[in-house]
Amino acid sequence: MTRKIINILLLTATISALSCSKELDTTPTQSIDTKDAFKTGKDVEVALVGAYSHLGASNLYGGTMFVAADLLANTTEISWSGTFEQLTQMKNKAILIDNSFVAGTWLSGYTAINDVNNVLNHLDVVADDKKNKVEGESKFIRGSVLFDLVRLFGKAWNDGDPGSNAGVPIILTPTVEINAESQVPRATVAAVYTQAIADLTDAESKLPDENGFFADKSAAAAMLARIYLQKGDYANAAAAATRSIDYASANGKFLMNPYADAFPLTDGNTDEDVFAIQVTSSSGTNDFQTYYSADGRGDIQIEQEHLDLYEAGDARLDLFYNSGGSIYIGKFDYIYGNVHLIRLAELYLIRAEANFRLGTANGAEPLDDINVIRERVNLTPLGSEELSLDAILKERKLELAFEGNALHDAKRLEQNVGLISWNDPKLVFPIPQRELRVNANLTQNPGY
Amino acid sequence: MRKTIALLLAVIFTATAAFAQGRVVTGKITDAKDGSAVAGATVKARNGKAITSTSADGKFSLKVEDNVKELVITYVGYNDFIVAITGNELSIAISQNSQSLSEVVVVGYGTKIKKDVTGSIAKVGAKELTNTPVTSFESAIQGRASGVLVQQQNGKLGQGINIRVRGASSVSAGNEPLYVVDGIPVITASLSSNGSPTNPLSDININDIESIEILKDASAAAIYGSRASNGVVLITTKKGKNGTSKIDIGYFTGSQKPTGKREFLNATQFVDYFSRAAVGAAHQDFLAGYYDTEEDAIADWMSYTESRFTRYSAGNEDWKTAKVNTDWQEQGFQKAPISQYDVSLSGGNDKTKFFASGQYLDQDGIIVRNSYKRYNGRLNVDHKVKDWLSVGMNMSFARSQNNRVSNDNAFSTPIQIVALSPITPIIDPRTGLPSGALDLATGNPNTNFPVYYNPLLSVDNSSYATLVNRMLGNVYANVNLAKGLVFRSEFGVDQLNQTEEAYYGSVTARNTGVPNGSGFFSSDQLLNINTNNFVQYAKTFKDVHVIDVVGGMSFQKQTSTSSLAEGEEFPSDAYKKLASAASKVDATSSASEFSFLSYFLRANYKFNNKYLLALSGRYDGSSRFGANNRYGFFPAASVGWILSEEKFLENVKWLNFLKVKGSYGLTGNGEIANFASRGLYTGDGAYGGQAGQRPTQIPNPDLKWETTKGFDVGFEASFFNNRLGIEVDYYERKTQDLLLDVEVPGTSGFSSQFRNIGNLNNKGLEFTVNTTNINTKNFRWTSSINFSANKNKITNLDGQVLGGDVNKAKEGEALGVFFTREFAGADPANGDALYYLNTTKSDGTLDRTTTNDYNAAQDVVVGSPVPDFFYGFSNTFSYKGIDLDVLLQGVQGNEVFNGGGQFMSASGSNGFDNQTLDQLAAWDKPGDITMVPEARMFYANGTNNSSRYISDGSYLRVKAVTLAYNLPASVLKKVKIERARFYVRAQNLFTITNYKGWDPEVNADYSASNITQGVDFYSAPQLKTIVFGFSLGL
Repeated sequence: MTRKIINILLLTATISALSCSKELDTTPTQSIDTKDAFKTGKDVEVALVGAYSHLGASNLYGGTMFVAADLLANTTEISWSGTFEQLTQMKNKAILIDNSFVAGTWLSGYTAINDVNNVLNHLDVVADDKKNKVEGESKFIRGSVLFDLVRLFGKAWNDGDPGSNAGVPIILTPTVEINAESQVPRATVAAVYTQAIADLTDAESKLPDENGFFADKSAAAAMLARIYLQKGDYANAAAAATRSIDYASANGKFLMNPYADAFPLTDGNTDEDVFAIQVTSSSGTNDFQTYYSADGRGDIQIEQEHLDLYEAGDARLDLFYNSGGSIYIGKFDYIYGNVHLIRLAELYLIRAEANFRLGTANGAEPLDDINVIRERVNLTPLGSEELSLDAILKERKLELAFEGNALHDAKRLEQNVGLISWNDPKLVFPIPQRELRVNANLTQNPGY
Repeated sequence: MRKTIALLLAVIFTATAAFAQGRVVTGKITDAKDGSAVAGATVKARNGKAITSTSADGKFSLKVEDNVKELVITYVGYNDFIVAITGNELSIAISQNSQSLSEVVVVGYGTKIKKDVTGSIAKVGAKELTNTPVTSFESAIQGRASGVLVQQQNGKLGQGINIRVRGASSVSAGNEPLYVVDGIPVITASLSSNGSPTNPLSDININDIESIEILKDASAAAIYGSRASNGVVLITTKKGKNGTSKIDIGYFTGSQKPTGKREFLNATQFVDYFSRAAVGAAHQDFLAGYYDTEEDAIADWMSYTESRFTRYSAGNEDWKTAKVNTDWQEQGFQKAPISQYDVSLSGGNDKTKFFASGQYLDQDGIIVRNSYKRYNGRLNVDHKVKDWLSVGMNMSFARSQNNRVSNDNAFSTPIQIVALSPITPIIDPRTGLPSGALDLATGNPNTNFPVYYNPLLSVDNSSYATLVNRMLGNVYANVNLAKGLVFRSEFGVDQLNQTEEAYYGSVTARNTGVPNGSGFFSSDQLLNINTNNFVQYAKTFKDVHVIDVVGGMSFQKQTSTSSLAEGEEFPSDAYKKLASAASKVDATSSASEFSFLSYFLRANYKFNNKYLLALSGRYDGSSRFGANNRYGFFPAASVGWILSEEKFLENVKWLNFLKVKGSYGLTGNGEIANFASRGLYTGDGAYGGQAGQRPTQIPNPDLKWETTKGFDVGFEASFFNNRLGIEVDYYERKTQDLLLDVEVPGTSGFSSQFRNIGNLNNKGLEFTVNTTNINTKNFRWTSSINFSANKNKITNLDGQVLGGDVNKAKEGEALGVFFTREFAGADPANGDALYYLNTTKSDGTLDRTTTNDYNAAQDVVVGSPVPDFFYGFSNTFSYKGIDLDVLLQGVQGNEVFNGGGQFMSASGSNGFDNQTLDQLAAWDKPGDITMVPEARMFYANGTNNSSRYISDGSYLRVKAVTLAYNLPASVLKKVKIERARFYVRAQNLFTITNYKGWDPEVNADYSASNITQGVDFYSAPQLKTIVFGFSLGL
């Protein structure tokens, strides 16, 4: 009898164990299914925030791509003593096609673009009063990234025919599956510039005047000013710079004084930031700090040759410091400092250069703009007779030193790097080897 | 009348019964070697039914039928012995055989007699394992089993160990075998937070293990279905035995050292060498047009370099006289004692058997700041409740604390100390503190002195402890439903709770990047539950048909939750808990789970003791797979023929046993991320304090099992009175539908996707030869050789080349081959690093001209981390009470890539890292022929990945040596001790290798993966251990 009962119990146990099959339906906890990601307008907005976090990736606006560009453009004003071979290659102007930082810039760039393409694809669920803002920010991100990719991976605008030189692939739709169409060929340099300008122009029109630390009208116009300057379209550059300065001023932005306050050792944006990548102790990264600061890796030291460029009394000299016998630049000493991507000062410099070249005074006289920059750093204002393109470019170089512009300025100004010509293929990133492996429609850059 | 008949029948029956009772045979069984009593041996009447086992004193008493003329004595680890019954008091001496065919081997959901096994199973017993002075048991099976390649990543304690059973079968999914302890699959995944994997298997007390069986071929493993592709390791813990209760006490203590060291420049060589590098760089700068004259360039570079020498000399000019000459490598190592204490109790009677044990292991690592302590407890109980019901449990508890160091790729890992300059003093004379601790100018730690962060600062000013509490156990019930029919239900739990806590003091700021201390606390809680419910049926028909069937179901579910909190800004280094952190920089928690539901069936049939057939199948479902392909079926079949039972071999006296066997079956692999088939958005896109989500995975609802088709043929034979035993296996394993992490175009916004693409093959040969070379009364010498050759080849990857660094997965090659530029030494004309072009010419041959343009040269296969073959050779000698066991182990035909070479063997052209001695051969002047390019500071002359950093990784090791003395019985009687054994034991005593690094058995922990193997990156060498110990039996 007992055994019968036992047998029945065991049978019951077995049968109940068999009903475990529903236990195979498990669900992730930190992630959700893609199809559930865009149910409400709020979902779309948080996806946009997610796109900013990818924009701030280490190899993108987190700073490494700018440090790499600075190393490519510099010869003896700095010395490099780091062990990241990816950057050693930059300093030596000998980039390898498997450089993982180069591949990372490409991947991070298109990841951010895919993020915003997803957002743009779901604008229909966004509340009407937020639609423009969401669309504007998305296009700001896409246009900015396309511009930064094309000027690193393609020939300079002024090098031959941008209408036939290969740029980078233009991606305007979100990825839902990987198929043959995922192998997108490179668009021409001109086509990428056109797309970037279209995105940013649209962004400028749709973005709000004031938008916290997210992109606003001023940021979009500033990025446009950079693009127009890079392609030598000075009239549009001056106009865009003026718009950006005007929006920024209306938002209460101004040049920090003293100069060092533009690079604070604290959290958050300064009143000079037109657009900055947000870094906090729990998210984001500032790779300018990683490589330039003695408190970081301290891989990049500043040589006397650079310091000799400054006039005596220049407040910008105050930012250089000696540690253990080497000189470092103090713009990036706070590990959780924001990446000051576009400072208001840059727009005065763009406008001054553009106006000076054209002989115009769109927004302001070039002399006034230059002296705004000079007076802030305790230098005597230039007289009109002292104003020259060289003086403007020198001011630009010193004001924006080590902030990631050196390579792109050298190219547009057709200045050689040592014996290397400004349009040498060595100064263009290679298309990453991994991309060539998986995309038969890509072509490698000359020289690689 | 009826009563009469009944009475008559009763009388007849009783008489028959009385007649059948026959006679009583008694006797004593002893070990032929030392005369000690053998307890628990089975004594069976040959051609009869009577059976018993010997008691603790080796004695037995058996009633046998009158027609029984002989007894069969069987005992695990001993030869079967047939003895004629002569007289009633027998004295029987049986001899040991390390590979006895009567041995019982554990198979999935049951056991089998070895001679009936048709699959391929390697077994390592307690004898080989006990008291091995290592942290985890896998180290103890290295070299002991054919077809099982064991590689320890490095010499950090409790570190990950890779095991490949018959080669790697997967590119992107798991390649480690399934581990099953007493029937329950256990947790094996590393839970480490610092990129240096730990090994949850090290929670198991080696001395608790009775045997380890490794199921190698498809027929043996297929009963574990979807997780059997990489083999299955079955661990069986010790049980109590019938007889007097026993107490065993063990202790050993000793010390450990690194197995090898590298040679670096001394102070004078360092200064000379980097001065040369400065001149080399100046020359390049001049050529690039940065300077007007070469003299200017040299003057500038020398001034820079000399200022660096002064900095690294702690701000003085001692470097000019080599007054300070620090051997930093020595500073990274420490004295490393090891001790282990064991106690176990066991015993039992017909109803209840028990085994209880406790262990304490206290081990220091060979590298500074590394130590490991572990407590283990175990209680295994089996109880027969009724004739038809027995129940039992196997419960163990472990608590370990591993004081760990950073992963190999961190400045703070002790071995990276070799990068520091020999001109740098250990104590900075300016401060009286360790170099790097204090910059008097700022009051903070130095930011650029010494050349890199000094790992010694971490020794006293940081801590990183991994604390594990583990409960592993199961309960079972066996119900005899009918004759031969048993139902077994098992329920197992593996609960692993781990915390990791770290504090990095303010003096480590240069390493952590934060000035006032930082720390984190992480917690992982894993619960793995498993139930197996199955019936076993065994029956013999007409004496010649033996069938044995097992069928049932299994369900496993593992859930895990983890959390992490991180803080910075501590009031002082006296405060080390996050409670004191002013800034809480990170807090996260997560959870995950997976489940498997399986049904299995296995049937064995044996005819006439000669012909063997086994069929098995498993139907597996897993939560990991796409909705379209959730279940898979994994069948296998095998046959065997015991030729030695055939008439035509009956008279071949020198042949004791011969079996040929063959098997074929399918196994699966589902070791991928828990949600790999889904399209995912993840909520980790926070930006500037605002929450964000972002796409993280593209869906693949068709994702399914990776399947391996395995084929195995082999034979087992023993000759010359079982003094020579041979086992040979040839196998082929073809894996299809590889679970591949496929690269996709980056323009999609993703870098890879899991897809079922590709095929790879393993084929190989393995053999084991066991010999009894000498067997006299006092002296015995036995040997065992195992040899395994495996050829791994990827046949289809859809044209892709996968792998992040030098190791690649590539069609036509073994998984993980080193695929990079082929280095051609220094250009005799100018000292440039040269590479062979290796481009394909129009005639199809490779262009062997050299170039200094790295981009122009093509990658070629320059080596493989996978050995062509590996082997073990053990010899055991015993003379009276002394025994000596020597195990040699080796691998042959693999290469090692020194990933640290780009810094330490870099022609001084990639930073001020101290250089290995061989860099002195750098190109110096036109015409020099050398493999070391010119020294050019920061010019990365030949430092990019290439065959420059490949070397032969073959080695032969004296893996384990034990010399022991067993006290003779006469002495033991006086001191009233059953057994006493004193021994000295060495592990990794001696290594023969061409490898110039620390140790050729290496796999840089931070990068180790299926593809990336055999890379040395400042990896701690293996441990050379010598211990003295004793074990006492009371």
